[in-house]
Amino acid sequence: MANGWRRGRLRAALALLAAAIALAVLAPWLATHDPRRAVPEEQFQPPSATHYFGTDLLGRDVFSRTLYGGGRTLGVALLTVLIALGPGLAIGIAAGYGGRWLDAGLMMLMDALLAFPSLILALALIALLGSGTVQVALAVGIAGIPSYARVTRAAVIQARSLPFVEAARALGAGPRAILWRHIVPTAAPSLLAFAGVTLSWALLNGAALMFLGYGGDIAAPEWGVMLADGRAAFRNAPWVALAPGSALSVTVLAINLLAGGLAEHPADG
Amino acid sequence: MGKFILQRVGAALAVAWIALSAAFVVLRALPGDAVDATLARTGTSPAEVAARRQALGLADPLWRQYAAYLGGVVRGDLGESLVTGQPVAQMIGQNFGPTAALAGSALLVGVALGMALGLAAGLAPRRAPGWLAEGVAALALSMPVYWTATLAIYLFTVVLAVLPGVGGGSPRQLILPAAVLGFHTAGSIAQVTARSIRRTAAQDFVRTARAKGLGEADVTDHILRVSLLPVIAVVALQLGFLLGGTVVTESIFVRQGVGRLLLAAIDNRDFPVIQGIVTLTALTYSLIHALADVLYALADPRVRVEG
Repeated sequence: MANGWRRGRLRAALALLAAAIALAVLAPWLATHDPRRAVPEEQFQPPSATHYFGTDLLGRDVFSRTLYGGGRTLGVALLTVLIALGPGLAIGIAAGYGGRWLDAGLMMLMDALLAFPSLILALALIALLGSGTVQVALAVGIAGIPSYARVTRAAVIQARSLPFVEAARALGAGPRAILWRHIVPTAAPSLLAFAGVTLSWALLNGAALMFLGYGGDIAAPEWGVMLADGRAAFRNAPWVALAPGSALSVTVLAINLLAGGLAEHPADG
Repeated sequence: MGKFILQRVGAALAVAWIALSAAFVVLRALPGDAVDATLARTGTSPAEVAARRQALGLADPLWRQYAAYLGGVVRGDLGESLVTGQPVAQMIGQNFGPTAALAGSALLVGVALGMALGLAAGLAPRRAPGWLAEGVAALALSMPVYWTATLAIYLFTVVLAVLPGVGGGSPRQLILPAAVLGFHTAGSIAQVTARSIRRTAAQDFVRTARAKGLGEADVTDHILRVSLLPVIAVVALQLGFLLGGTVVTESIFVRQGVGRLLLAAIDNRDFPVIQGIVTLTALTYSLIHALADVLYALADPRVRVEG
């Protein structure tokens, strides 16, 4: 049903995301100015041929800051997902494959952690860890562990009851071999799709903590920090916030469309 | 049914107890020295710090502090702020009203808008209203709250000049933050509603209803009765997003509330206040979750049998 439309949407999302990543990676070559260099006499210049996206309060070039900011923001989100992924996978596999009591105990613990709204848990962890880029990734990542554990456990349990896995068990394969040769490869695609979904959540929450000022380095080119800078001046110089705000929204939108499209595909097709 | 409710409430209590213990370990046992640092930063002399530690019970063995903490929570005593010395429960109480008003009205906006968008996207897929609804829901899920809020403040207070922007207190000042937070809450609700409607519409009983000649309005009624159930669950889940969202929203709109209290406490490393807010949020959240489960079971007997 409407495969052409869906494929077109997926392709557009993929192109957008690829563009965002390419721009972030190529920032050192594409940027026209040093993203950190302040030129106070060029404060709040509107977009022009020298400053494509204008300048901010300190006279820094918004175009270059947005390019460099992409690398930082996406990097933090990626690190966040990796931090959540490791322990989440381990706990999920242990719960889904380790017997009834281990399952009940681990899931009870995960449920308890899920009782804390993730942004509030991340903020509490920031109080403990202090401000900083890595700290933001750690805080948001740790807050994401219970969701990963839950999804992994569900995928493992589903894979465990598949006919070919039961056949392998009947043939006498050991539990360890079954886990690594059959269950993990079977569950991997849906877990990867979930990791994609959570990348957008990591982007939004990470940038939120940056926006609130917990990124440590307040001069750093980062979309959340830039939005915080631009918000104060939005009335007179809307271009300062416009570039990072749009960039962040479009990137998250692309990830959402991609993940949503991938998740929808097998169910509807 | 009574047994199910009892089981569910029991599970909620167990989860709440583990959550409380986790909050104790992370925010009290781990940052032991941070408390000293906080006291020292407020200009307290070392001798006074020792006295305050004694008074706050920080010199006791951990197990005694844990027992005192649990007992305090049960009695509604969340300790005292390290900075102001005010009882934490009182501080939260003073800020609770505005936050509850914001979260409550945002939830109303989110449920109304989310259901409307979800119905449009689910019942009119691949037509103009469906596309429009899907587009709006995608925006709600993709734009950060702090970006939408910036745009909304500019549009409504500068360009149109119809609403007050920042500040809290009057009901008019609630409109914009509640609308912004509600808009983002609507995204997931719309998605789940639309998906659920589409899944139900593809089921056999709908085809049977159409085959036996039932009018389209009645068929829609059949579909909606079945497909709106999962929405209860997502509304409960969205509450977590909403409680986190109030922090950012209050900060942008400079509204008094628990969220800004939390941010101030984080800046001051005021651990008893952080712990109190986190604990209370977790308790509220798990309570509402249990409530949603019970509602769900009341509405759908299958859940009771399986659970």
